[in-house]
Amino acid sequence: MTFKRTFASTLALATGLAGGALADEGKLDIVFINDGHVAPYHVAWLSGFEDAIEAYDDAFEDIEITGRWLSAEGSLEKMIQQTEVTINEKPDVMFVNAINVDAFEPLVAKAQEAGITWIAVHSPMESADYSFTLGDVANGTNQGMAMCALSGGEAYKVAVMLGQAGNPSGEARREGIMKGIASCDNVEVVAEQPADWDTVKAQSIAENWMTQYPDLDAISGVTDAYMYPSIAIATNSGKDLEFFGYDGDIPILQQMQDGPVKADILLSGTREGWNFVQMAYRIHKGETPDKVYDFFTPLVMSEENHKLALANGFPEDVQVYYVDQALDVAAKGYLEFGPDSVK
Amino acid sequence: MPNFGRLLREKNIIFVTLALCVLFYLISPRFLSLDNMSAISRQIVPIGLIALGQYFVVVSGNIDLSMGMGSVLFAIVLGVFFGLTGGVALGIVAVIVCSLALGFFNGVLVAKLKLPAFIVTLAMLFSAQGLSGLIIPRGQQIFLMGDFFRFIGAGKFMGLYWSFLFLVALFVLAYVVYNHTRWGAYVIAIGNSEENARLAGIDVDRVKIGVFMFSALCSGLAGIVLSSRMGFVQPGLDGNGLLLDGIAAIIIGGTLILGGRGTIGGAFWGLLFIGVINNALNLLNVEDVWHQVFKGAVILAALGANWLLWQSRQVEAH
Amino acid sequence: MTTATATTPSRPGFKLDSLTQRYLFLILLIVIASVGFGIANENFYSLANIGILLRSIAVPFLLSMGMTFIMLTGGIDLSVGSNVAFSGGVGVVALTATGSAPIGFAAAVAAGMAIGAINGVFIGRLRLSAFMVTLATYALARGMALVIYNADSINVSDAAFLWLGGVSWGNMPVVIPFVALVFVALSVLLYKSTFGRDVYAAGSNINTAFVLGRRPERTLVWVYVLSGALAGLSAIITVGRVSSGQPWAGLYLEFDAITAVILGGTSLFGGRGRLLGTILGVLLYGIIINGLVLTGTNPYLQSLIKGMILLGVVLLDTLVQRRNAQ
Repeated sequence: MTFKRTFASTLALATGLAGGALADEGKLDIVFINDGHVAPYHVAWLSGFEDAIEAYDDAFEDIEITGRWLSAEGSLEKMIQQTEVTINEKPDVMFVNAINVDAFEPLVAKAQEAGITWIAVHSPMESADYSFTLGDVANGTNQGMAMCALSGGEAYKVAVMLGQAGNPSGEARREGIMKGIASCDNVEVVAEQPADWDTVKAQSIAENWMTQYPDLDAISGVTDAYMYPSIAIATNSGKDLEFFGYDGDIPILQQMQDGPVKADILLSGTREGWNFVQMAYRIHKGETPDKVYDFFTPLVMSEENHKLALANGFPEDVQVYYVDQALDVAAKGYLEFGPDSVK
Repeated sequence: MPNFGRLLREKNIIFVTLALCVLFYLISPRFLSLDNMSAISRQIVPIGLIALGQYFVVVSGNIDLSMGMGSVLFAIVLGVFFGLTGGVALGIVAVIVCSLALGFFNGVLVAKLKLPAFIVTLAMLFSAQGLSGLIIPRGQQIFLMGDFFRFIGAGKFMGLYWSFLFLVALFVLAYVVYNHTRWGAYVIAIGNSEENARLAGIDVDRVKIGVFMFSALCSGLAGIVLSSRMGFVQPGLDGNGLLLDGIAAIIIGGTLILGGRGTIGGAFWGLLFIGVINNALNLLNVEDVWHQVFKGAVILAALGANWLLWQSRQVEAH
Repeated sequence: MTTATATTPSRPGFKLDSLTQRYLFLILLIVIASVGFGIANENFYSLANIGILLRSIAVPFLLSMGMTFIMLTGGIDLSVGSNVAFSGGVGVVALTATGSAPIGFAAAVAAGMAIGAINGVFIGRLRLSAFMVTLATYALARGMALVIYNADSINVSDAAFLWLGGVSWGNMPVVIPFVALVFVALSVLLYKSTFGRDVYAAGSNINTAFVLGRRPERTLVWVYVLSGALAGLSAIITVGRVSSGQPWAGLYLEFDAITAVILGGTSLFGGRGRLLGTILGVLLYGIIINGLVLTGTNPYLQSLIKGMILLGVVLLDTLVQRRNAQ
């Protein structure tokens, strides 16, 4: 009986969600295949994507815009299957955040044969129609340089929390952060550990660091997901640490005005989700974005800290958003990427 | 004080754990510092709660795979209630009620309908994972702020974490229940032979349901501790990692996975063993690609060492 | 062991009946699921989708068949998913070093068997808990895969090596006849050989098997080695499917395999079950996963559905069996 009920709900859901199968002028079907759906960044990303689909569909009467996302839940095999199934469904545009780009080369060709525009997400692919990239190395460098400029010139000990072994985004961010830190000689990296994008692991690591390095000054991370438990532990144990984040999660941005978070990178999942739909719409309208499309990801600091950093030799040409502005665009993806941006 | 015979039975894992501690101390003297000991004591609390609940289930000849994802689900129940009302008490009550209900459900399916515990709780693992995302709007995170969470997450008494003291108290209580009450004897009897237990007039179904309610309650407590320390909840927490660490702790501590045999003291040492390994991975700055090799190899070596130490006695027993 | 005697029905004739009933029930569910998904999405029945479906369940098929042997002995193998990554790594490295596909194949299967042998010796000879030992090798094999690959993928272009997992005849992936062949071979092994009878004997009652001189400890070692070999084959198929060796391949596959075997009616306590049931279990599981992808179902809802189906099938099966027994 349990089965029947579940099945009925699946059917109801299925009829609701099954999108148009064939591409034609009046239709734009977008599928976003992601590697996960549970991390705070993913959550914001997928909601931004859903909201944007709805907003674009409402704003443009002449086109029926549909979209859905799938999560591979970290499994390569599952992602391959989802991609194969989706290609067979022939949507117009596919965004694929491949767990490993090598594994998806054979499928790109298949998708293009079927007339689907393939957009590789984060890790660029030569064969893809477009690649949507983050400039991880440059962003990481900005975070590292901000650390240098805000460290006050005295000996400053930082521990860096990394992604999962072999993950290209995590590696690129690490490379950038180290490059940025190398721009001054008072900041010392005392520890580096991978936390596998996992908040529980991040919690244990932060705890160990705080006991292992009693004079630790800051924790830097390749994702804001690590900041939540790290900040909680520092506050609870009365440690006065500074934090340097990456992602532009709204709750972390909120901790920047007079809070312990000194700098963050404004990706913001919401913004990225909105940008996807904007990009798909522009391609559908016949525009051709850059083959490697670089997501606009400024550094975030408070106004005071930015001034302080500039006084300490932080490069003036690095684009910086102040906290209010960052919070505004992060919460309302339509400000930058909504239907008005393409009308 | 545990009697000498029991100490002897538990001592294999004590040796292995102490040997590891010495080894890690030689590599990094900071390993045995007070600060690090206290960090370990705090990190093992959620695993310890899982291990304790699982212990009774395993001794009774069953297994509860839903404990890890259950604790994630209960953490989120706490978060949702806290988010709605801003009050902690209601959230705690909700966690206790929900966990007991889940345990009752598991227990009834296993005891009354005679379904294998492995399957029932595997199904519950999947269901809890699903529910944890469905009861929270769009799977978003909820922040837990306030004195209560700070107290559970980081409160100290004479240099020791309250959460750890609480865990130790629970282990002591479990020790008493397991060794000195009828209920404890019933659990062991059922694990040895359900038929015989039934013939001896034990209300097997009731004991089994009780065992599952206790394990679910433990996962509820683990959820509370976990979320208090994190300061926020979100459905992506790695519940299965907790589950596997908890099971590993009690089996390494000499509990027979088929049921009927084990000691609470052994389970506690097994817990320390897991805590020490997890901590050492970070503390010794083991290069990331080697993490899993290290963990797997140490557990295998411990199993092997345990076996070597056991072997002589086993031969005598035959 | 005590639980085993308590839950396994004693009359052999009854055993067969209840299993057959279970299979009919699974077939019914498969039909219902496919009709339902067919209505929800017309693409479900397209030849291309059936090809995708079959290709995606080839690896779970192999792993589940190994798992069936193990569960027939009352054991469990949590290491198979990690083993797919590890043996694939060894195979790809051997291939790159020698340039010879046969050596690559042999290396992959041998590596898989090596992990299986570790499991088998610890479980069979040392009589340690299968859950615990394979939990350790689950971490160990994944870790060694990461070390071998240095956490990065390796591209493979050798056509012979990629043939098994990558090539399709029309919409029919070549891996499907291959899996069918393996199924036939394993069926012969399980039902027609002394080894097969030893497997059932070891699962029904290991002590009796021991006394009867069936050497269950040796059978156990070989059962885990067999599962390792199938993980090695799965690794070859996976590499072919993605044209590269992947350190994170096979993640969570042990869960899928265990679920499929349970769905297929094999008893967790050993001694009862057949390969046919596992095939049906994998098929049902694969159809549900495929259908949920096609319908774009929320992943949280997917987990819930998975849990409910697992529970529902086992519950219904038990209720039906009990009614028959009365």
